[in-house]
Amino acid sequence: MTLQSSGQETINLQGNHACALGAVAAGCRFYAGYPITPSSEVAERLAKELPKVGGVFLQMEDEIASIAATLGASMGGVKAMTATSGPGFSLKQENLGYGMGAEIPCVVVNVMRGGPSTGMPTRPAQGDLMQARWGTHGDHPVIALTPGSVEEIYQQTARAFALSEKLRIPVIVLFDESLGHLVETVALPDVTDYEKTVRKWATGKPEDYKPYKADKDGVPPMARPGDGYRVHTTGLTVDESGWPTQKSAEVEPVMKRLLGKVALNNDLVESFEDMDCEDAEVVVVALGVVGRAARKAVRELRASGVKAGLFRPITLWPFPTKSFRKLTKKAKHFVVAEMNAGQLILEIGAAKTGRQSVTGLNRFDGVPISPSQIKQSVKEVLGHE
Amino acid sequence: MMKNLEMRFSGAGGQGLQLCAKIFSRALTGEGYHVSMSQSYEPTSRGGLSRADIVASDGTPDYPLTTDLNTVLILDQAAADASEGIIRDDALVIVDPRRTKNPPKGKFKVIELPLSETAISLGSERVTNVVATGVIAELSDDIELEIVERALRQSSPKKFLDMNMDALQAGVDLARGVKSA
Amino acid sequence: MNKQVAISAENNEAGNSEIRDFEIRDYLRLDMFPHFMCPGCGHGIALRALLWAIHSQGIEKDKLAIVSGIGCSGRVGSYIDANTYHTTHGRPLAFATGLKMARPDLHVVVITGDGDCLAIGGNHLIHAARRNLDITCLMLNNEIYGMTGGQVSPTTPHDRFTTTTPAGNKEPVFDASRLAEAAGAGFVGREITIHLPRLRDLIAEGLAYNGFSFIEVMSDCTEVNGRKNDLGSSPEMVLGQTRTMRPSEYDNNVVDHPFRPNTMNTGVFVRSDRPEYGATYRNMVDEIQALQQKGQK
Repeated sequence: MTLQSSGQETINLQGNHACALGAVAAGCRFYAGYPITPSSEVAERLAKELPKVGGVFLQMEDEIASIAATLGASMGGVKAMTATSGPGFSLKQENLGYGMGAEIPCVVVNVMRGGPSTGMPTRPAQGDLMQARWGTHGDHPVIALTPGSVEEIYQQTARAFALSEKLRIPVIVLFDESLGHLVETVALPDVTDYEKTVRKWATGKPEDYKPYKADKDGVPPMARPGDGYRVHTTGLTVDESGWPTQKSAEVEPVMKRLLGKVALNNDLVESFEDMDCEDAEVVVVALGVVGRAARKAVRELRASGVKAGLFRPITLWPFPTKSFRKLTKKAKHFVVAEMNAGQLILEIGAAKTGRQSVTGLNRFDGVPISPSQIKQSVKEVLGHE
Repeated sequence: MMKNLEMRFSGAGGQGLQLCAKIFSRALTGEGYHVSMSQSYEPTSRGGLSRADIVASDGTPDYPLTTDLNTVLILDQAAADASEGIIRDDALVIVDPRRTKNPPKGKFKVIELPLSETAISLGSERVTNVVATGVIAELSDDIELEIVERALRQSSPKKFLDMNMDALQAGVDLARGVKSA
Repeated sequence: MNKQVAISAENNEAGNSEIRDFEIRDYLRLDMFPHFMCPGCGHGIALRALLWAIHSQGIEKDKLAIVSGIGCSGRVGSYIDANTYHTTHGRPLAFATGLKMARPDLHVVVITGDGDCLAIGGNHLIHAARRNLDITCLMLNNEIYGMTGGQVSPTTPHDRFTTTTPAGNKEPVFDASRLAEAAGAGFVGREITIHLPRLRDLIAEGLAYNGFSFIEVMSDCTEVNGRKNDLGSSPEMVLGQTRTMRPSEYDNNVVDHPFRPNTMNTGVFVRSDRPEYGATYRNMVDEIQALQQKGQK
């Protein structure tokens, strides 16, 4: 069935533009960024869209200023976002950690390109998976989403806002250059629920309010400037009142709560695609555009009688370990296909419970992994060729 | 059931290959196809290999990038080897020999046409891409010329409209010459 | 209770009744005390001048946002009973830019230092000045990195000893006010802490100014800078400032080291009527939205 015969209105939309439109649809009203290939179209589209809805678009003086301004706007009570690529993502890490520690909702998009350093600005890569998890210093909670199509970029960017508001955490959206610049015919999904999701605001008497005293969901309500709470926000480790502390007895419970809040809300956070995993002998693990190559490969392998399956994380961090284990119980082999020298494979090695073999299929030459390469890899693992 | 189409428009940066892809995307979307359009280019705005690809399918494809091309346009030597191994045997491969001295070799048929020369005779080498669009629209069995023409009309800025329409027609004429030969 | 808090406004000269009514305790988070500042540090006086100026301008605490970075200056804001944001090193101006654009109803004041504002955050200073967004930036210039133990900063005077210039500072220094002026700040002024009422009035004018106001407060770091360079006790250091820093015009500066006069002037250097960026942006938004509505009809 074609999209049109389903009666939905379709448009041809670029991935980066879908990211911008998904943000606006989710209620994003502030963007600060710095030009960088291959993510600039996100900024360019928002420069056009945000004024129309009364929002703020700022091109800042550098990458660090962009995330600092984003955090500032969010503290003002506005859904805010910044977008960049690898070099800029590196520059943003310290302030990303500030957002994680001080629990400031926002969305940070990284359209990945070849690296290290300036690397290959117009070529795709998936080299920032581990940077998204561990890039900023110190222990910190993290949510990173990895959409695999233009439609999913729209949807997951919108969802990133909802998760970030709900859990008071910067949410990272990762996709590569090939998806950022891919134009696809899409019917934009309804994201009204994401738009309606806003952070819990502080209520009650200001003298009783403690800025880091969490509710049952592990998330403290936020005070908005102007509402009478007059709260202190800092990157220092704080107690429930928000005052800096270095006393171990005070630090431990606060850190435990901070580091545990994402897991506490796992039902909300976890997302993945699985195809034919249950009885698969070989499960291909891949994300983003490689996840789609894997989908094609698995479909063709199945058609030729090979028991292959696909596990594609959409929420990359935290990795959906429990579901992965449950779904791949019968697997004997894992093939981890990724456009880097081996990052996701480290997580699969840690997540698997049995004695399955784990084989990496890696490319870091600026070219996406093709379906035929994945098929080949699966066959090799099975000893068919 | 619609046939899956994979098209590639390749050459050097600045040759308007993205526009070719956009016109065909528009035309194919109008025909009910789900279109995936991807590109590859160098960090500079001019020169170097540049290509724009279309995967047109019935609904969202598993994989949105090209793996099995059935239409290939090559406007510059920079793109001659870029499609090695992914051109179908029955593909339509159109080459501008003026800038492509060594076209790719394979079981597929290579059609060499004076695309840029035709454009120059119309007054601007910059419409080579539109001449090529006319050639492909006329030679392809999968898409109607009038739909491409409409898409080009919609994509053209007013001041280039006449020039573009002339270039499209010139391309169609070139293709008809091939057909009758 | 700390002595600095106990000083009441009545002992100070005061021009009008509003200023006379000033009670610093109304603006402090007393549960944060005792504060971290060293005895003799000029930052406390700058804090008092700022709060007094806020009082004189009738700014509501709920609508007041104090944004600071890292260093001694970064901690000063924590004691203010307002919406306070202690951000990362060098970034308070960038953070404040986002906050002010998102919430134009807030009075946004940045408290920063010579290291925070001129070294790690130098890029943000020149661009905040260029943009001319309605933010008041108070740069507490103590000519050293105090919090980290006394390293050289972009304003450490020539030949001054610090832990990283054991043979004296040989690098040229910045004149922060001139830098802000050159970058386009709409309001620029400098004052020393001993002239508390003058400092208060300067800050008050900066707060009232609709645009980016840059106020350089010449603070003194007795504990680190003073000790290492035998500059004497705090009163001696502050009195020393009165000899080298006087109200005057730029033209009268005596410059024998790049960018930094060896006598520094004080007072208001720039009062311009450059358009404020926030209002300019919102006008643009209004126009775009009006065009859109027209198009829809």
